[in-house]
Amino acid sequence: MPDTTNDVNPFREGLSSRPLPAPCAVIIFGATGDLTHRKLVPALYNLAAEGALPPAVSVVGFARREKTDEVFREELEEAARKFSRQKINDELWSSFASSVFYHRSEFDNLEGYEALSKRLDELDAQRGTRGNRLFYLSAGPDQFPVILENLRKSGLNESKEGSWSRVIVEKPFGTDLPTAQILNNLVDEAFSEGDTYRIDHYLGKETAQNIMVLRFANAIFEHLWNAKYIHHVQITASEPLGVEGRAGYYDKSGALRDMVQNHLLQLLCLTAMEPPSGLDADSIRDEKVKVLKSLRPITGDNVRKYVVRSQYGAGAINGKRVAAYRDEQNVNPESVTETYVALQVNIDNWRWAGVPFFVRVGKRLPKAGTEIAIHFKGAPPVLFNAEGETIDDNVLVIRIQPDEGISLRMSAKMPGSSLRIEPVKMDFHYGTSFTKATPEAYERLLLDAMSGDATLFARRDEVEEAWKFVDALHEAWAQNDEDLTFYSAGTWGPTEADELLKRSGATWRRL
Amino acid sequence: MSTATLEPGLPVEIGKIDRELGKLWEDSGDTKTRASLINLAIYTENAEQVVANTELISQIATEHACRALLIYANREASESQAKAWISAHCHLAGKGERQVCSEQITFQLDGSTVDSLPSIVFSHLDSDLPLCFWWQGDFRAKLDRELWSWIDRLIFDSADWENPVDQFKLVHEIEALDGGRTVVCDLNWTRLLGTRFALAQLFDHSCVLSRLREIRRLTIATNHRTTGLLLLGWIAAQSKWKHQMLMGKEFFLTPEGEHVDFVIDVAPGADISLCRFECTKSSFEISREAGSDYFHAKLSGTEACETPMLISAGKSQLADILVMVLSRGLKHPMYTKALAAIEPLL
Repeated sequence: MPDTTNDVNPFREGLSSRPLPAPCAVIIFGATGDLTHRKLVPALYNLAAEGALPPAVSVVGFARREKTDEVFREELEEAARKFSRQKINDELWSSFASSVFYHRSEFDNLEGYEALSKRLDELDAQRGTRGNRLFYLSAGPDQFPVILENLRKSGLNESKEGSWSRVIVEKPFGTDLPTAQILNNLVDEAFSEGDTYRIDHYLGKETAQNIMVLRFANAIFEHLWNAKYIHHVQITASEPLGVEGRAGYYDKSGALRDMVQNHLLQLLCLTAMEPPSGLDADSIRDEKVKVLKSLRPITGDNVRKYVVRSQYGAGAINGKRVAAYRDEQNVNPESVTETYVALQVNIDNWRWAGVPFFVRVGKRLPKAGTEIAIHFKGAPPVLFNAEGETIDDNVLVIRIQPDEGISLRMSAKMPGSSLRIEPVKMDFHYGTSFTKATPEAYERLLLDAMSGDATLFARRDEVEEAWKFVDALHEAWAQNDEDLTFYSAGTWGPTEADELLKRSGATWRRL
Repeated sequence: MSTATLEPGLPVEIGKIDRELGKLWEDSGDTKTRASLINLAIYTENAEQVVANTELISQIATEHACRALLIYANREASESQAKAWISAHCHLAGKGERQVCSEQITFQLDGSTVDSLPSIVFSHLDSDLPLCFWWQGDFRAKLDRELWSWIDRLIFDSADWENPVDQFKLVHEIEALDGGRTVVCDLNWTRLLGTRFALAQLFDHSCVLSRLREIRRLTIATNHRTTGLLLLGWIAAQSKWKHQMLMGKEFFLTPEGEHVDFVIDVAPGADISLCRFECTKSSFEISREAGSDYFHAKLSGTEACETPMLISAGKSQLADILVMVLSRGLKHPMYTKALAAIEPLL
């Protein structure tokens, strides 16, 4: 159950349909990093601007560099003015900044944590935050173990009576199953699973959240949401960008680890899961785990049959020449890292038996877009769909980004005396119907963590099941890299990916 | 940015409104998209409100696409006739690739044609979409069952009423007409949302919450008495205080049997410019300067806890309040409780 202060503060009753965040101290490890400046602090400021952030919340940056509270605040202000989705109001910023503090310490220095503990106690007393603490691990993943260990040794992980202590862990949650398990064990030693929030910002996006609403609040879809009516599903995440300064990380990670293991498998779970017994975090996550456990493992020779990996060569994006992946700065010139992966995933359960889920993700593709396309089976081959006629199948598309929305392709008679059937599209755009500015994913996720709502965060077993599936592919690739293909930047990927769908009588959707 | 005009629009025959609206969209080609999430009807008997309402619809449409029916009823007109105009409120959506438009149909009903209000409304609704009806001014004692029972959300502003006792009685009757299906939305309650959030956040502070039972006096400064009363009602209901009157003096009694005095100061300024709680040895308050978007929270006599806080006051422009009402589709049980707590004070 989400933790709220409704039971103690009577004025919170009925104020919002969602759990309200409790006043707390947010402690950011790696506070001088990019994520803090670009995302976390602008998100906290935007929440404050919308009145969603309890004013008593204090933000404590924990990092190694020497600096004062004032300097830290000035740096954050500069970043917030650049990256906040809302314009900075001087009066509000001044109040918000007065709740921001800087704590200098090495990550491996226990005394630094003990000093932090004292400082947090003082802030609790001043600001009435009741000992509630939210630790955000935004430092490099190699620092997670030492931070978690020192949080435990200093007792900061322990919540006092009537208060809570939670941790948000940024991805990557390991680089494979063994490392994920080691990380999870370390987290477990310091925080209970209920107090652990593994962040996947894709789940904070409005449209990802809307998948469940679409499926379970609209009776018409759920009846058709199975192998009887659905031919196949395509999940696509494409981007024209290259590695953009992330080469060091990306060359070790690749598309499969970077995108499929977390974001795309999460989207697949939301699309394929059974209706949960409730809307609480565990009911939903239980159903997602069932999907992950039902994924048919792809191992050995089947990897070549069901998975296409590829790397971009030189080409052009929007008319501009771009270099091949191997020629990018900081990339190994002989790298076999995949920048594109397409796979056929089979879900061995009653609902999805025989329905392939095609998942593709790639860099340097012509267009940016993330979407889920449900391709329905065709009408019976009689009447308008008789032999010789070609009528497009119905496709329901859930666009995650950009231009969030939902469209349904269907067939209609063209006006005129002759019978000519053409595909038409019913299109719902979030931006047209709901013009209210969409909050950033981090705003929603920070608020949820402060409210104790873990619905949009990954649970340990979800992460580990996803790694199990992905590790098998990596193991096969490690044996042999002959299957690595190449595609020109600015194209929709290698022809082998088209062949993958052709076997099922399908073609990739044109975004 | 809205490109709407503030004219009622293109005059049309009432029987040809749909056809003329169709033409309006045909003429705009593919550059405009019609959007609608609700039917929003606004009824006024004040001619001057027509322009103000049109401007309001134009603002609302940028956040809440709708088909707007604006009805001006002139009961006193000597001649009985009905006139109509159509117009569209368009704004650029997304990254500015296209214009999204909401339709507005304006009616002027003179003399006895006012009685045909239900049929005028029913025949021009966008099908399958909920009907939100904003009745500006006082309700009439003779209720038109046919009209009221069709309404999904009935909007009114109790701050405008001179006789809130009778008006609230009529609201209860309308609510009961169709088994309580109609959701009642008092703009006066919605405009308190920011203040209620701010007070909830003030009481999140452990130093304040721990003194909830020690409150002995409450002062509210407001620009409308009913606004202040509704806030008082909410605070009393949530704190489980009961209204009492003894020898002509009104006060609240806490569950522990302690007296809480109250003062409602009515003066020009923000909807709520001050809400101060006084205990025996401490006090805490939120206060707002006219025109400010924030409340300043102040804690006094609480030793270590005297951290000043700035709390968002929420939105207070009429268009923002109306958008909030249109976005919150559920019933308002807290409103019912708050109203019950201050009924003797109305």
